[in-house]
Amino acid sequence: MNWAEIIVQALKDWDTSLIAYVPDISIHQVTGLIEADPFFHLVSCTREEEAIGVAVGSYATGRNSAVFMQSSGFGNSINALASLCIPARTPIPMFINLRGGPGEFNIAQVAMGRATRPILDQLGLIHFTLDDDYKMDKIVDGALKLCHANRQPVAVCLTQLLHGGKLA
Amino acid sequence: MLRFEATQLVLRHAGNRPIVSNLGPTTDELWHAGHRDRNFYTYGNMGLCSSIALGMAVSTDEQVISLDGDGSLLMNLGTIGTIGREQPKNLIVIVWDNEQWGQTGHQPSHTAMGTDLEQVAKSCGIGNTETVSDLESLESALLTALEKPGPWFIVAKIQEVEYMPVAPIEPEMTLYRFRNSFKE
Repeated sequence: MNWAEIIVQALKDWDTSLIAYVPDISIHQVTGLIEADPFFHLVSCTREEEAIGVAVGSYATGRNSAVFMQSSGFGNSINALASLCIPARTPIPMFINLRGGPGEFNIAQVAMGRATRPILDQLGLIHFTLDDDYKMDKIVDGALKLCHANRQPVAVCLTQLLHGGKLA
Repeated sequence: MLRFEATQLVLRHAGNRPIVSNLGPTTDELWHAGHRDRNFYTYGNMGLCSSIALGMAVSTDEQVISLDGDGSLLMNLGTIGTIGREQPKNLIVIVWDNEQWGQTGHQPSHTAMGTDLEQVAKSCGIGNTETVSDLESLESALLTALEKPGPWFIVAKIQEVEYMPVAPIEPEMTLYRFRNSFKE
């Protein structure tokens, strides 16, 4: 399995069938698979905090959910995490295309990309970063298990070194 | 029309249907009107009330009622577009429209200056919409919405009055009770 297929399999293993996202060219390799698979319901949102709200609503009815976004959009979702997910204890896995690392070409993506993990730390949210697919199946599966055990969002940050990224 | 009386009316007809309430007085008044496990109170995440209700609607066959507010919805108008895109037949959005940001000092909101949220919903492809300004019209619209497939978008013009005491909401317990009610 490639990295995108590993994520899809982990979502299925954890019966996570509602996916809310904002489109992104790099993580489209995953969300394209999800869209084509009848196991999933993919909700295309206008903004990342909206995706968090949709995911929480799904989880509240008993259906596991996850969100996909870019690190710039993570910036749009901070208050939803801080004022909804954390106080209500919702286990929402977040798959974040982490910009601003080696290979970044866009100055406007650097600051938010670099700030993403420190902000997650400040919120007390656990995160893992994947630069390659070594042990990736175990890390993603373990991240989802931890997410549900702790009943808090867990972020899996996917870098350009993993997915090839967007070229200039 | 007072929001509390309108909330009581919604509760009378809601049965056991899930209700999501917008932060602040909407959540407080829903609690005072009748606490139940199927009330999903929010006390933060301004703008996400109807997004949460949308996530519920696409994940359950039950009808879901969102009690949103004009100021909050203006913060996340995109979610009306997402509702129009998803077309959930079981979603009823009711917007308590007091044409102001009540809790921050009663500053006029955009709906006091010409923004028409019903027209926004229509232009986003939501076919069933109403604007009501008295209890009788709200009851009529709600009863139709409960019978006829949605999504529904009802703008209810309300007067702003004295706030009720803050409801003793514990977000973790709200989610726990609400989620468990779907397992029974």
